[in-house]
Amino acid sequence: MKINLFEDKKITEEYLDIHFTEMRPMIRQLIDTVKSERPVISGRPADEDLDDGEEIILDPEEIYYFDHVERKLYAYTESGVYRLMTTLSSVEEQLSNYGFVRVSKSNLVNIYKIKQLKPDINMKVYLSFDNGERICINRSYKKSFTEYLNRMRRMA
Amino acid sequence: MKEFIKTYLIELCCSYTVISVVGAITNVIYGSETNNANVILMFIFCNIGVFVLSIHKLFDKLSPLAMIVIQYVVAFGLCLLVVFISSLIDEVSPRGWFEFIRSFTIVYVIAAGFYYYRLFRDAKDQQEMLKEIQDKAARNKFI
Repeated sequence: MKINLFEDKKITEEYLDIHFTEMRPMIRQLIDTVKSERPVISGRPADEDLDDGEEIILDPEEIYYFDHVERKLYAYTESGVYRLMTTLSSVEEQLSNYGFVRVSKSNLVNIYKIKQLKPDINMKVYLSFDNGERICINRSYKKSFTEYLNRMRRMA
Repeated sequence: MKEFIKTYLIELCCSYTVISVVGAITNVIYGSETNNANVILMFIFCNIGVFVLSIHKLFDKLSPLAMIVIQYVVAFGLCLLVVFISSLIDEVSPRGWFEFIRSFTIVYVIAAGFYYYRLFRDAKDQQEMLKEIQDKAARNKFI
């Protein structure tokens, strides 16, 4: 998609024109994103060829967690897994005010999707999502996780 | 490294002070006395304990339970070695070995139990905080 940007100091109200051939989900998501001013996270379905699949804008609210495996970043949502062409730290920076917190070197989780937090018999603490998946909270990230929860509680 | 040494020395000072004071109080209560060799051994044991506990980051990929067991075995082995070396210089009483194993293990089990309790309590607190955040977010959505 071609993007034209125009700087005009004289206009009193900023506006955005979108020219499209048909109202595809991507256009709809783009409109929603602009309206709600949410950070934009986009990715391609992980099971498709990266060059063929259309990039889809992901709603952060729909993402359960991000997983960094073999230098590739994946976002897990209810509808599927998406490959992102960015880094975990940049996503973390973008979404830190939207309920996303690091729980290990390779996982960034959405706290609004967590169903339960429970220690195992081997003393590892696992968090489970409402889709049934489980992720371990690394001991090194325990303190920052608690601090983040405290911060979000104050913000809420 | 500088930070590690700083933390190490602080923890060593604190633990040695606590052990010395508890030892002195116990001596006063039971009317017993300690000697210079015991004081030096106490200091060496404190060093071993603080060092073994401070390398916990090396076991980050293991479960806490495995980490506790490994740290126990390493610390126990090092302390046993120190007692063995000291036995070459000064005689260890027949019950000395048993007393050493017992006093070392009891303290370690209590500390591990406390860690286990803290883990469950922290998880419970985090769960409550999470619920509060989620409830507030759900309420705000409907406003």
